[in-house]
Amino acid sequence: MMNYDLGIIGGGPAGYVAAERAASGGLKVVLFDRKKLGGVCLNEGCIPSKTLLYSAKLYDNAKESAKYGINIPEVSFDFPKIMTRKNKVVTKLVAGIASTMKKLGIEVVTAHATIADRKADSIDIEAGSTIFSCKNILIATGSEALIPPIKGLDRNKIYTNSELLDIDHRPESITIIGGGVIGMEFASFFSSMDSKVTVIELLPEILSGLDSDLSAFLRTELTKKGVVFHLNSQVTEIKNNEVIFDNQGNTGSVISEVIFVGVGRKPIITGFGLEKSGVETERGGIKIDKNCRTNIPNIYAAGDVTGWLMLAHTASREGEVAVNHILGQKDQMRYNAIPSVVYTNPEISCAGITEQEAIKSGIKYKVKSLQMVYAGRFVAENEGKTGICKVIAGEKYGEVLGVHMAGNPSSEMIFGASMAIENQLRLNDLEQLIFPHPTVSEIFRETIFSFHG
Amino acid sequence: MPKVQLIDPRSVRKPGFIEFGKIPVNQYNKSIANEKEKFSNEDLTRIYRDMVIIREFETMLNQIKIANEYNGISYNHPGPAHLSIGQEAAAVGMAYNLTVDDFIFGSHRSHGEILAKGLSAIHQLDDKDLDSIMTNFFNGSTLKVVEKAHTGSIKELGIRFLLYGTLAEIFAKETGFNKGLGGSMHAFFTPFGVYPNNAIVGGSGDISVGAALYKKTNRKPGIVVANIGDASMGCGPVWEGICFAAMDQFNQLWDGDMNGGLPILFNFMNNQYGMGGQTCGETMGYEILARVGAGVNRDMMYSERVDGYNPLAVIDAFARKKKILEDKKGPVLLDTLTYRYSGHSPSDASSYRSKEEIDTWMQEDSISWFGNELVKAGIATAESLEDIKSSTAGLITETLKLAVNDEMSPRMNLISDPELIGKMMFSNGSADKMEDRSPDVLIPMEENPRVKTLRTKERFHLDKDGKTVSKVKLFQLRDGLFEAIIDRFYKDPTLVAYGEENRDWGGAFAVYRGLTEALPYHRLFNSPISEGAIVGTAIGYGMCGGRVIAEIMYCDFLGRSGDEVFNQLPKWQAMSGNMIKMPVVIRVSVGSKYGAQHSQDWSSLVTHIPGLKVVFPATPYDAKGLMNAALQGTDPVIFFESQRIYDVGEMFHEGGVPEGYYEIPLGEPDIKRDGNDITILTIGSTLYTALKAADTLHSDYGMSAEIIDARSLVPFNYEKVLASVKKTGRIVLASDANARGSFLNDMAQTISELGFDDLDAPSVVVGARNWIVPAHELEHYYFPQPEWIIDAIHEKIVPLKGHAVKHNFTMLEKMKRNRLGI
Repeated sequence: MMNYDLGIIGGGPAGYVAAERAASGGLKVVLFDRKKLGGVCLNEGCIPSKTLLYSAKLYDNAKESAKYGINIPEVSFDFPKIMTRKNKVVTKLVAGIASTMKKLGIEVVTAHATIADRKADSIDIEAGSTIFSCKNILIATGSEALIPPIKGLDRNKIYTNSELLDIDHRPESITIIGGGVIGMEFASFFSSMDSKVTVIELLPEILSGLDSDLSAFLRTELTKKGVVFHLNSQVTEIKNNEVIFDNQGNTGSVISEVIFVGVGRKPIITGFGLEKSGVETERGGIKIDKNCRTNIPNIYAAGDVTGWLMLAHTASREGEVAVNHILGQKDQMRYNAIPSVVYTNPEISCAGITEQEAIKSGIKYKVKSLQMVYAGRFVAENEGKTGICKVIAGEKYGEVLGVHMAGNPSSEMIFGASMAIENQLRLNDLEQLIFPHPTVSEIFRETIFSFHG
Repeated sequence: MPKVQLIDPRSVRKPGFIEFGKIPVNQYNKSIANEKEKFSNEDLTRIYRDMVIIREFETMLNQIKIANEYNGISYNHPGPAHLSIGQEAAAVGMAYNLTVDDFIFGSHRSHGEILAKGLSAIHQLDDKDLDSIMTNFFNGSTLKVVEKAHTGSIKELGIRFLLYGTLAEIFAKETGFNKGLGGSMHAFFTPFGVYPNNAIVGGSGDISVGAALYKKTNRKPGIVVANIGDASMGCGPVWEGICFAAMDQFNQLWDGDMNGGLPILFNFMNNQYGMGGQTCGETMGYEILARVGAGVNRDMMYSERVDGYNPLAVIDAFARKKKILEDKKGPVLLDTLTYRYSGHSPSDASSYRSKEEIDTWMQEDSISWFGNELVKAGIATAESLEDIKSSTAGLITETLKLAVNDEMSPRMNLISDPELIGKMMFSNGSADKMEDRSPDVLIPMEENPRVKTLRTKERFHLDKDGKTVSKVKLFQLRDGLFEAIIDRFYKDPTLVAYGEENRDWGGAFAVYRGLTEALPYHRLFNSPISEGAIVGTAIGYGMCGGRVIAEIMYCDFLGRSGDEVFNQLPKWQAMSGNMIKMPVVIRVSVGSKYGAQHSQDWSSLVTHIPGLKVVFPATPYDAKGLMNAALQGTDPVIFFESQRIYDVGEMFHEGGVPEGYYEIPLGEPDIKRDGNDITILTIGSTLYTALKAADTLHSDYGMSAEIIDARSLVPFNYEKVLASVKKTGRIVLASDANARGSFLNDMAQTISELGFDDLDAPSVVVGARNWIVPAHELEHYYFPQPEWIIDAIHEKIVPLKGHAVKHNFTMLEKMKRNRLGI
């Protein structure tokens, strides 16, 4: 039997980042993953989708190049080549992680790992018929696509993120069930690729949980690109290529080549002996405290498996917090300043609370919203386009509570908003901050100054 | 298990039958004419008058309760009034032949008994003694109210005093017999031989036996009457009291003038209802209550049913029963048949009985009947009886007027003296002995074999070369307790000790080994396995003025004495207006190794009850010093001992355990080890667990722990603990009690509140699991272990570098366990 300070089940953004930090902190670490390192994010999520979306953005820009005085006679794309490039990027990054693991002396076991037994001061993990005795374990098994119980749905015929990212040709048409982040990124990609895209969303607006001004903005932009939205619509049946839905009493239907189901994800908490560990779960995910520890002293959990906030960067941070607790370093997980981005074209980027959340929680706030065209650089680079920057601050002290942006390249600027929220900066503090000119980020500064009236 | 008595199988296995004699039922059949020799006309008229006084007093209360008015005087009395209208003949008959030296105990329905016994006492006392009682009672503050307008005799003044003192008490006035702290259900007046009445059904059933024990072992005159209801026959304390009173040893083992039964009369005031339950025919099976006496002892408790509707029948019965008790043939059981017209309380609509039944009893009304008999016998006339009634009504009206007047009869002023009740919770006395005479002992103390052996023991755990002393040579914790106890036996002649296996065996844990040689039976004896009676009798013994040590062999058996420990022992000092002292030490041994019902530390339960002092020493020096202090005091002390550490030697006090007398004041914690980085506060034997934890903290983590032994739980002086927290900024509290509801939480909260500015982390409690205590082999999963303390520090106070936890102190687990109730 081999002894470790930390055994990590799952090599995604929670697991491999935790492994890196733990090894750097002097712990002996074993990392288990049944497939490839990098998890959903790297293999069938963030990275491959961003690679595809970049190709789409180039194609969009090329098509619009005339507006900028550039003539490109004939614009076209090579779909298989786009996919090949995506695979290359993924392979390169996965290899990068593997090499980092090796460099840090982390033992990577590619096998299905299960919790075999609880000992007085350790936990036995069995993988590939070997027992690994671990003083602490971190569960980072991630999540999987949620398949809703829809009449006629055949799991082998519909697409989820993993199948769609590996599709070998451009579909003529695609129906997206679920207007969430994943669905919108695919809607953006395939509409750029000139596929006919239809979105069916149960709620009155797409991207629930985002500031509703931004959701509406994105829906308008995508509609301009030809995406058809059916809001307030519940899918009742799938018949071969036809999706039948109920729109407030009216039946509608869409026929398309591809049906994508993106109604949400669920934590993976079965199949690896979790029930033997005594770990407490809640609403399908593992319950953790501010140290990312479960109710069992030497069992931690991070990432999607907690069911808390399914974002790769949240997962990584949770993994770090868990490791810091094991190392006895003062740290704790905070969720109030986590940025989130929808990588559509244009991008949507948020940090902190939405206006709707502020109202619901009874927080006294003030809010300002500016069009992106107040930033000169945005005008220079986004011919005929617009965007939004919305800032929510505490009514009394003006501390920044939430920042919501629509428009490119908001994903590269949002970390500044996170920093402001995390450090509880007030509007007055930010007024004293110097921004580079001209940049799109100046929209943030402009919005802050707009609070003066 | 006395060796002098052989249990011979040849004898006990013989076949045969138990024969029961006859139990008399309502055998009194004399008329007034037959009894003229025994009673003067004045006596007979007085019997009538006393019944009328009780009737009018209770009728007045009934009017006040239901109409807020009596004879034009308005008053609202929100408190209780359990009336005995209809039961007057039983009360007056009971009290007629009792002297001031005879004590009565009662129930929630005892106004009539207080008045009857008081009237009898006033009649018997000479004017000088009566005047002195009234003048000295609470510095004459009660007397002052009634004597202002009084012009008649001292005895008449005495009656006004009695009525007023009782009524003012019922109305919670400071001029009442117990400063208004007893009230209707508890009022009493010891100078007339009226001892506590009790709001808990059957509560007097064992307390009164303790009073009888006091009278017997201290050679005091008089008998004790427990006036309890017919339904209380179904209560444990009554049965336990009867069994205790009927022990064979009084006749078979107690020597000399101590030989013979207890002077206790269980007088069941049988009004045939226990609240709304009919005892005969519904809730009990005895048909005639007196039957029960047949099964208790060979004398069948001289059991008898007497017609409580004829005062002369009751007087006759009491005269005969009192003689039996004076002949040392107690206990006696009397089933005094009576009936109440009033409901259980004025709010009771009597839905459980027919109007026809009440009317039938009213037609037999004892006062009307006895009045008619007096007229028939030419002792009274209708007019003279009417005069008695109207003058009584006048007297009651005047008494009520005084009692409702807030100027003359104020309540306790808790504005000018907010702690008035607080100050009454404990008497805080210090007395070498409760009475000045030479104690009954068998041999001089210095000749006692154990005392001699102890002289050769090492009184510190290390010898002069620093080597650990072997257990055989070591002066142990049990020896410290023994020294304090035997010392007090030779100082205080009233001190008695009893419980299970106290004599011969020397107590299950050898604390009393050597006492059997020193003391006669009446100072140290084995009781029935009746924890209720063990504590209950101790209460009765203490309230009469005797010092007593009662022993509960395992803390887990404390529940068996629940009412006695929770409702009786802690309450009577304050409920008496501090007329009563309670020099009672209850030794409670906390077990281990014997599983779920023999291993629990319930010290927290008793700390919750106001009026008890609670100590839990963990070293021989502290055990002796605290026992000395407990036995010097006049308050009830629950004295916890741990079976884990009866054999430990003194490790802390320089020079070991002193041979001479010393006291450790109750309430003062003790620093057992100095430290700078963290404070560990422990209760009981967990001190030694903390010492091990402190050793590891020092060796493995370089942390120095200051260990404070609480020693006492109530009272508790926080000064040392707060000073320690000021120095260390951190505190963990540990004991073997299961964590939920543990007194440690109370301490932790107080420390958090008072030491908040000094604390770097929350006060953390480490207790046992909220489980059943498992078998000894699994106990380390249940009781706090040294590593638990370290884990708790690591998890909740300060991370210890490189420490891996074994015990679960996670936040989520704590939430979960609370959610699940485990």
